[in-house]
Amino acid sequence: MTPTTTRAADGVPPPGGTSPEKAAPGTRPAPAAGRRQGRPETLAGYLFLTPWCIGILLLTLGPMLVSLYLAFTDYNLFDSPRWIGFKNFQDLFQDDRWWTSVQVTLKYVLIGTPLKLAAALAVALLLVKPRKGQGFYRSAFYAPSLIGASVSIGVVWRAIFNDDAVVDKSMSLFGWDVGGWIGDPDWALPTLITLTVWQFGAPMVIFLAGLKQVPGELYEAAEMDGAGRWRRFRSITLPMISPVLFFNLLLELIHSFQVFTSAVVIAGSGTNTGGPGDSLLVYGWYLYEQGFRNLRMGYAAAMAWMLMLGIGLVTAVLFRTQRGWVHYEEDPK
Amino acid sequence: MGARRWTVRARGARAAAAVVAALGLLATGCGGGSGSGDGKVTIRYSWWGAKDRAELIQKTVRLFEKEHPNIKVKTDFSEYTDFWSKFNTQAAGGNAPDVFQNSYAFLRKYGDKNLLLDLNGQADAGNLSLKGFRDGLEKAGDIDGKLLGVPVGANTFAFFYNPDAYQKAGVTVEEGWTWDDFFAAAKKVRKSDGTLYGASDNANVMYLYDLYLRQNGKAFFTKDNKLGFTKDDLTEWWGRWQSHAKAGELVPGKKSEQAKPKASISADLSASEFTWDNFLVRFAAETKTTLDLGPIPTTDGKRTGQYLSSLMLSGSARTQHPKEVAQFIDFMTHDPEVGRIMGYNRGIPATTAQYDAYKPQGVDAKIAAYEKSVRAELEPITPHPAGADVAEAAFLRIYTQVALGQSSMGKAVDQFFSEAESALGS
Amino acid sequence: MSAASLTVGRRRVRSVIWHVGALAVLAVILYPVVWVIGGSFKPGDQIVGSLQLLPTDPITDNYRRLSDGIADVPISTFFTNSLVLAAGSVIGVLFSCSLAAYAFARIRFAGRDALFTLMISTLLLPFQVLIIPQYILFQKLDLINTYVPLLLGKYLAADAFFVFLMVQFMRGLPRELDEAARLDGCGHLRIYWNVVLPLCRPALITSAIFTFIWSWNDFIGPLLYLNEPDKYTVSLGLKLFIDQDSVADYGGMVAMSLVALLPVLLFFLAFQRYLVEGAATSGLKG
Repeated sequence: MTPTTTRAADGVPPPGGTSPEKAAPGTRPAPAAGRRQGRPETLAGYLFLTPWCIGILLLTLGPMLVSLYLAFTDYNLFDSPRWIGFKNFQDLFQDDRWWTSVQVTLKYVLIGTPLKLAAALAVALLLVKPRKGQGFYRSAFYAPSLIGASVSIGVVWRAIFNDDAVVDKSMSLFGWDVGGWIGDPDWALPTLITLTVWQFGAPMVIFLAGLKQVPGELYEAAEMDGAGRWRRFRSITLPMISPVLFFNLLLELIHSFQVFTSAVVIAGSGTNTGGPGDSLLVYGWYLYEQGFRNLRMGYAAAMAWMLMLGIGLVTAVLFRTQRGWVHYEEDPK
Repeated sequence: MGARRWTVRARGARAAAAVVAALGLLATGCGGGSGSGDGKVTIRYSWWGAKDRAELIQKTVRLFEKEHPNIKVKTDFSEYTDFWSKFNTQAAGGNAPDVFQNSYAFLRKYGDKNLLLDLNGQADAGNLSLKGFRDGLEKAGDIDGKLLGVPVGANTFAFFYNPDAYQKAGVTVEEGWTWDDFFAAAKKVRKSDGTLYGASDNANVMYLYDLYLRQNGKAFFTKDNKLGFTKDDLTEWWGRWQSHAKAGELVPGKKSEQAKPKASISADLSASEFTWDNFLVRFAAETKTTLDLGPIPTTDGKRTGQYLSSLMLSGSARTQHPKEVAQFIDFMTHDPEVGRIMGYNRGIPATTAQYDAYKPQGVDAKIAAYEKSVRAELEPITPHPAGADVAEAAFLRIYTQVALGQSSMGKAVDQFFSEAESALGS
Repeated sequence: MSAASLTVGRRRVRSVIWHVGALAVLAVILYPVVWVIGGSFKPGDQIVGSLQLLPTDPITDNYRRLSDGIADVPISTFFTNSLVLAAGSVIGVLFSCSLAAYAFARIRFAGRDALFTLMISTLLLPFQVLIIPQYILFQKLDLINTYVPLLLGKYLAADAFFVFLMVQFMRGLPRELDEAARLDGCGHLRIYWNVVLPLCRPALITSAIFTFIWSWNDFIGPLLYLNEPDKYTVSLGLKLFIDQDSVADYGGMVAMSLVALLPVLLFFLAFQRYLVEGAATSGLKG
């Protein structure tokens, strides 16, 4: 099987005027335009949504509202919550460690997310063409993401970033001597980011699925027009996978803001939370510490809602901008 | 294509049906818990530890069930931090285990919130004996007149050192030695040994500072739940360690952070360290270097300020079976066979019956000898206030920031006081 | 003729370069994995902070010790439990999330936009603050120490990630197919089952793989809801090797984490081929 024929087989044209819908409801024109709009449609919609509706009412919305209420209370988990108004929120702004956690998290998100997506996309591009052993390659590149953030990973990470271990040695070849990375408050966060980037499997798989949807003819046509590799990537690949890119970007951002386990695992469990000098004190960890160790669940809930506001803002901005760069195929009509 | 789709659909439907059936089974099969029809009582016992402890506890529980055929004990366990997350969640739901492993340090924390069973009533009813505890442990679980826990094992703080390195440096560790002697020793060891630091930088260990304060007639916490020292006191203590750290005699912050989860001494970074005596077991497994236990340095040549702290068993205030819980605790603390099985896994057994039942070997024998040697110096322990664990964590973290060069001494001391005072609710 | 053989030759060279390059990248990426494998053959006191990738004197004790089980529970029990949970989760997610996604992507109904926004917003709240309310809920329902709290959400499409993933995918499918089916008199259920689901296979497989792995690695849920070691999962079992009070068994832990990797690796290997082929072969002609 030569690459060309396979590619041709892959290149099932997805669907000329595909999806009429845009990703964000809300950016869509008024629903009245839909000619099928009506009672039966609404009924069908809710029938399909029944499990989801039960789930969100029972498992998500209820607990969410409870946590919103708790954010305005003093609640130590065991005595009834006591209403204290906005005090938790005021205290947050006075809390140095809260600010530390905000900074650590922002650094982590702003550096980690683009790197992770870039790695995922690069490997997905590498693997997109069918080749000998593609199952092996896909699995091998995915392997780090199978492990999750287990204690073993913490042990490995601490070992390879140890003084005179492989990373330190390779770096000193370039005259860069850090010593033990995880013991150093300036270098501990980069190890956490490395761990995140290393586990790029999930977005990679999603990119792969997106890339496979790009019709091969588009490339062939472009190649005949003499477009170079970079041009083809810029003007065909990127726009064609932009919905997938949007999805990955959004979800990775949301996940990164909530990072928790991998920081704990790298710092190692024990009472000394936050890693060396709080350099790994990510938001989720501080929240957990306040809620479950210091028994300040009201405060933790306030932290959670501040985070939710923050991520919500980023998400809203992303949804707003997608009109500019995310290409959904337009409804032909 | 169509045919294939049908088989897929059929298979999917069958699988879905199986799962639904399985779910139903699970839901009905393992509900409830306590008290079934045959008059048997089930109690739930949770503890923290790893699988080595699990094996021992499993044996003792089976022994208990044999002696008390009407009581069934369901055990579950997890790692220390996970244990408390789980405990807090369950207790918040009013579903704490009937009986659980506890630490002396948490008696007030949970006692204040009415989560712990007052065992005095059960003791009076004869379900739990309070006799036969070793010196200093008779009243260990008594907090403000309530019996909130019963000790199963105890340990005390110790000075760990590498005898070879100390000998090479020509230093002997003697009872009644002083802090000046200790720091001088650390310096000598550092000079005589190219690789080892003289000591780990333990300025951030609350329990060690507590001993120092006691030697000076103070304590980390006062009886009315406040900090028992001033900012000047703390500046002096931390400052003293810092000056030796800066002189390169103590393990630098970065190195000890990097060495985790090993302690600096078991990572062969330093020649001495202060911690609980039972850690010798752990260290012996982590390093090939032989380590010895020595006396805590003193201020006046006599008083070390040491006391026994203990691992306890507590009951939940909401248990339906206080009597069975008391019987269980009684058995676990007094039965000689249990003592023989558990050995020093949870510290040195708290009752003389269990203490005598186990003949320590190897590392355990070293710990036993050490505890014997300090017995005369032991003082009564003062209960930790609620919030003590938060203060302890702050103490550790904030000094570490100084050791890592992130914070100045003055700022660090202020920060500790503000965090600790708010945790203690003062 | 010669031109053709030239291109074949060039192609072969390119292919070799590709493989060499990919393997070089893999060598870096898999270094930590090799470290774990090496570690599993080292004695326990030579694992933490070790500077060596491979053991000097390999031992197999760490694996042999696993057969003793943990606290009277054989290791295989943890694996069975994890498998039941992971498989149950996969079925639940595929079923419930695809239904919800179909509604969001393919049906125009009143209130859709608001519900969609609500769904996205459930992604934003950190799980830590939902733990207590959810625990109390399941306790009121008397479901503690069962697998229901760990599975119920999967059957009720509580994981917005997968709903959103499937929505994004379904939006990429040609609307004409629905129209055609509709003209043939198909209702939504038939369109969902016969048209949309088969075309969504890559998204379904992706969801299945992620669900399996994430359920396998989930730790907090099993920790909070399961009260008997018999019911513990592999992820819980992995944390029973180390405690502050204990002599940590790093050897056993590392060995078990490798064994724990096998089922997920096999699952991935088995399903990854459908990941990408799905889109092309399930075809539009069928």
